Amino acid sequence: MPANTASGYMKGAGAAEVNRPAATRISPALQALTAAALLLPGLTEPARAADDEASIQYGHYEESPRDVYSRVPTSEFGFDLKKIPNNFAPITVDSIHVQGKTLLRDRWRFTANYSEDTWSGATPVATAPAGFGGNKAYGGGGSVKHTDPSLGDTITGATPYIQSLTPVFDQNFNPVLDKGLDADFNQAYGFGSQPLTHTMTMASPETRKQGDFKLGYEWDEAAVDVGGGLSLENDYESRFVNWGGRLDFNSKQTTLNFSQSYTNSTVSALLDHDSLPYLGAIGYELNGKDDNGYIERFSDRLSGGNAILHGKREDIATNLSVTQVLSKSALAEAGVGYTHSSGFMENPYKATYAFFVAPDSFDATTGVYSNLTGSGIATTAFTEQRPNKRNQVNLNLRYVQHIAPLDAAMNLKYNYFFDDWGINAHTFEGKWVQPLPWGLTVTPTIRYYSQSAADFYHPYLVLKTAGSGDANNVAAYRALIQQYPNFSSDHRLSAYGALSGGVIVNKQFARGLNLEMGFEYYSHQGGLRLGGGGEGGYADFSAYSANAALKVDLDTLGRGLAESGGGHHHHHHHQHGPAQPAGLMFGHMLNMADDWMIGYQYMYGKQAGNLLQGAQPVADSAIISNNAVHNPNCANEQCFAAPSDMTMHMHMFMVMYAPTDWLNLMLMPTFMDMSMNMRQLDGTTTPSNTTLVGAATTHAGHEHQTGGIGDTNISALVKLYDDKLHHLHLGLGVSAPTGDVDIHLRPSHTYEIGLIHYGMQLGSGTWDFTPTLTYTGHLDDWGWGAQIQGVKRLQDHNESGYRLGDMLQATAWGSYRFLDWLGGTVRGIYTTQDSLHGAYDRPHVPIGTMDTPANHGGKYWDIGMGLNVTIPGGSLAGNSFGVEWIQPLRDDVNGIQLEREGALSAQWNYMF
Amino acid sequence: MIMFKRAVSAVSMALALQLLGGCAVAPWERGTLAKPQMALEPNPLQTELRGHAYGAREAATGSSSGSGGGCGCY
Amino acid sequence: MSLFKLRFAMLLIVLGLTDAAAVDVGQAVPACAIASPANNEKADFRAARGQVVYVDFWASWCGPCAKSFPFMNRLHAGLADKGLQIVAVNVDENSADAERFLNSQPATFKVAWDGESECAKLFDVQAMPSTYLIDRKGVVRYVHLGFRESEAVQLEEQVKQLLDESP
Repeated sequence: MPANTASGYMKGAGAAEVNRPAATRISPALQALTAAALLLPGLTEPARAADDEASIQYGHYEESPRDVYSRVPTSEFGFDLKKIPNNFAPITVDSIHVQGKTLLRDRWRFTANYSEDTWSGATPVATAPAGFGGNKAYGGGGSVKHTDPSLGDTITGATPYIQSLTPVFDQNFNPVLDKGLDADFNQAYGFGSQPLTHTMTMASPETRKQGDFKLGYEWDEAAVDVGGGLSLENDYESRFVNWGGRLDFNSKQTTLNFSQSYTNSTVSALLDHDSLPYLGAIGYELNGKDDNGYIERFSDRLSGGNAILHGKREDIATNLSVTQVLSKSALAEAGVGYTHSSGFMENPYKATYAFFVAPDSFDATTGVYSNLTGSGIATTAFTEQRPNKRNQVNLNLRYVQHIAPLDAAMNLKYNYFFDDWGINAHTFEGKWVQPLPWGLTVTPTIRYYSQSAADFYHPYLVLKTAGSGDANNVAAYRALIQQYPNFSSDHRLSAYGALSGGVIVNKQFARGLNLEMGFEYYSHQGGLRLGGGGEGGYADFSAYSANAALKVDLDTLGRGLAESGGGHHHHHHHQHGPAQPAGLMFGHMLNMADDWMIGYQYMYGKQAGNLLQGAQPVADSAIISNNAVHNPNCANEQCFAAPSDMTMHMHMFMVMYAPTDWLNLMLMPTFMDMSMNMRQLDGTTTPSNTTLVGAATTHAGHEHQTGGIGDTNISALVKLYDDKLHHLHLGLGVSAPTGDVDIHLRPSHTYEIGLIHYGMQLGSGTWDFTPTLTYTGHLDDWGWGAQIQGVKRLQDHNESGYRLGDMLQATAWGSYRFLDWLGGTVRGIYTTQDSLHGAYDRPHVPIGTMDTPANHGGKYWDIGMGLNVTIPGGSLAGNSFGVEWIQPLRDDVNGIQLEREGALSAQWNYMF
Repeated sequence: MIMFKRAVSAVSMALALQLLGGCAVAPWERGTLAKPQMALEPNPLQTELRGHAYGAREAATGSSSGSGGGCGCY
Repeated sequence: MSLFKLRFAMLLIVLGLTDAAAVDVGQAVPACAIASPANNEKADFRAARGQVVYVDFWASWCGPCAKSFPFMNRLHAGLADKGLQIVAVNVDENSADAERFLNSQPATFKVAWDGESECAKLFDVQAMPSTYLIDRKGVVRYVHLGFRESEAVQLEEQVKQLLDESP
């Protein structure tokens, strides 16, 4: 559907009949007038959903740090309850979502989605009375200390300190604070209510990727669709299929919708290494090999003993809804949904404290159960246990009303949810979609959510029998299960309310470009629960989310005023020129003023195989030969690990505009994710976990991932020479350091192991100058070209203390157009890159060759082979796709590095 | 289970009543309903992103909205 | 359970009732008057006897209408001299919206206003857009609901067939 733009010019077909010739032509004067009219503010309509559309959305979600309380020393022998500084970084999630929609042959609708999110930060593992001291202040290793003078001790971001709590209960089994010895050296206790607190654990960054598609067929009054997809992350793999349809009645005043989906998921959760000795997963051990959850134990050279919790899960969801037009300006929807889930329903990273209070541990004089009397209180934390089945029902009501004086739409939604776990939830959502002048639409939103707790939700458990304190004690576990067959301390299942409010701003540009930005602030509070009775304030948190999306309507792009023929001459593919290698950047210029180009480039790079020193493979024994002294191969420390493979995925989005026919301006934001696996170097032994280096090396046994926004490039391309055969242009640009360079690893075994390896940081951290000089030529079906590209770091070092090396790349290629729409490219590439300068000036634990600044950069020779497709006509004309494989021929690396396997580039461009 | 049966009954009753209430808006009178702001889901990308965040922190799984309303064009 | 059956029966009855009487193939073209935007003069279709009339009901808010205009322009360019008269009747309640549409998607054929929807009611338009092909004798011969580019070929053939008939 066309994006209607404001215009006040009247055009009657009657006039066309009398005075104009058959082919109507808009005069330049009329065009100018209309263009002026477009600038006049009038209420413009928001963008309609297009038939052919591409969109890209970036989102950032961040939670507030949680309040953490503990029992801390306040005098030589005394303790009290205090809020302790929380050095745990809150949860942040960076995500991108790319979508393409198209309508083929008038009745086939196809949609494809790709989304990726990287999340990191601290999450609650378990909950306990704050006075029991579950969040301990304790010293870490190395030079990392965060000191709070009032607490007189050091606190580090910690792994859950699940053992050695100080539990005390009164005769009614309410928690009591052990205040230590008072001034008279008498044991003192604090009775009365005390807050609970979460025990937090940090998580290193992890990336989830998902791809899905949907294909539908439309009749006049009905439609069916089918789709499927895959979601992958380290510990969770999900495959899903869905199908559905709609039926229209009453001249489309009534629409019946039906959809169903089936999801099959596999969980392989690596249990928190540091709490394995203390975390009772005994229930899963007793399960045997069962899809509802079982433990697999194995040993890894680098990381030692590990346990993976396996499980499978199935979900079938069915939705039925009916939409009814109520009047010329209102419509309503009512729906019902039912989901049946079975299998492994637990969150493998959540645990629940169980306090086994032995009856003989009661001291009548002080009036408390404590560890000072009799058999005492045994503390054990167990991984949570949920039922193996869940039935959920959703009831929805939606109402949309047009508000004529403001031309706005009020959109209200109510949802009632209930399941057989005892959870009931209400959701109220309201939106006010308000079109404004200049193509803007502003939509304030508000949402209120309230849920009750699950039947088996308990922040912590108290049992009135003696326990053993041993997480793997079967008898203790059986006693627990008898009283609590299911238990969870996951705050997601607790009673609370959440209020959120936000705004969405939409700006419609000419030619089908739409920019959408949204912001929302969300507050989760026990006190907000409808009717009261929510979880205490300790569990409160808030979050904000901000996102931006660019939507491109491929139908209206390029239509503009040119449809009538006069003035601006529009062109499609034949201005595109010869095929260019898909991995080439800055190679293309727009030739006509006022042209736009949007593009997306995906790059995949992999390093794996041998470790090279210079151009030759090097054996592990040679690398570690200096381990006895300061090993220069590993930043003058000792070498224990080396990378075994490293993968990089980079997504680049490009928007290019030509203000004149010899100048192009380009903006290119990027989003990337990287992962690295390491292996132990032969001939070394991993040091003990009780040392900093040992903790870091152990951690290296697990895959490291990072992901998020990369650096952003802003360039100007200047045409130097152009005729029918040859073209030369110069690119002048800068790379803005929007990518993180201070990504940390999660603490390991109570040690802060600091920054992740240099190669895993997302950006350069410095402003860089990125000049390019590109020459292209073409004759008939043949094309050729060459390019020199450089990167010069403009700063001495970035915020983490180092800078990447300068780079120079030279490439030359040839291309041939086999068919009207298909071409091929071949090229040679030479790259030279300097090593890192400086080094991390913040905590960082070198354990391998990748931690040495000198082990970066080198000289590389590659060959690239690619294919290009240009769509010549039809509704998708003007689109071009390219793919290229870059095969390394020779690597001559600086120092010791992992060799490269190759890189794959895929590019999509649309000119309009 | 009885709650579920009651819920289905309520919705089918609503469905029947709505069908009877049809014929109120002629096909050529759908101009206002066709406005983009009158879509059942005016910001699908936003809703999906936010739904993802809610789903990670809340126990209730939401449900997506169906299609309907709009211009009613063939 | 019987209450459920009653409700189900209600559903079926109502579904059956939804197909109201429309201007069908074989009926004479209704005598409705449409206004020409230039001079607001009203004219009606009976005056077009002897020609093949292509009546298309459209609105600015109708997506498929935008796709049908280039096709109708092509038909007009090629077949107007053979006796084809295209009349695109606009049913927008606000004529400014229609004018805006015509600016971005101009029409070479005749466009008419039906602001009060009299003509739409008389034709009993069932869907947007709707195309009625009227032969030289003033009888409605073909009714098309909606517009899809892949079905334009069939429309063109039907128009040519009607043009070949003698008045």
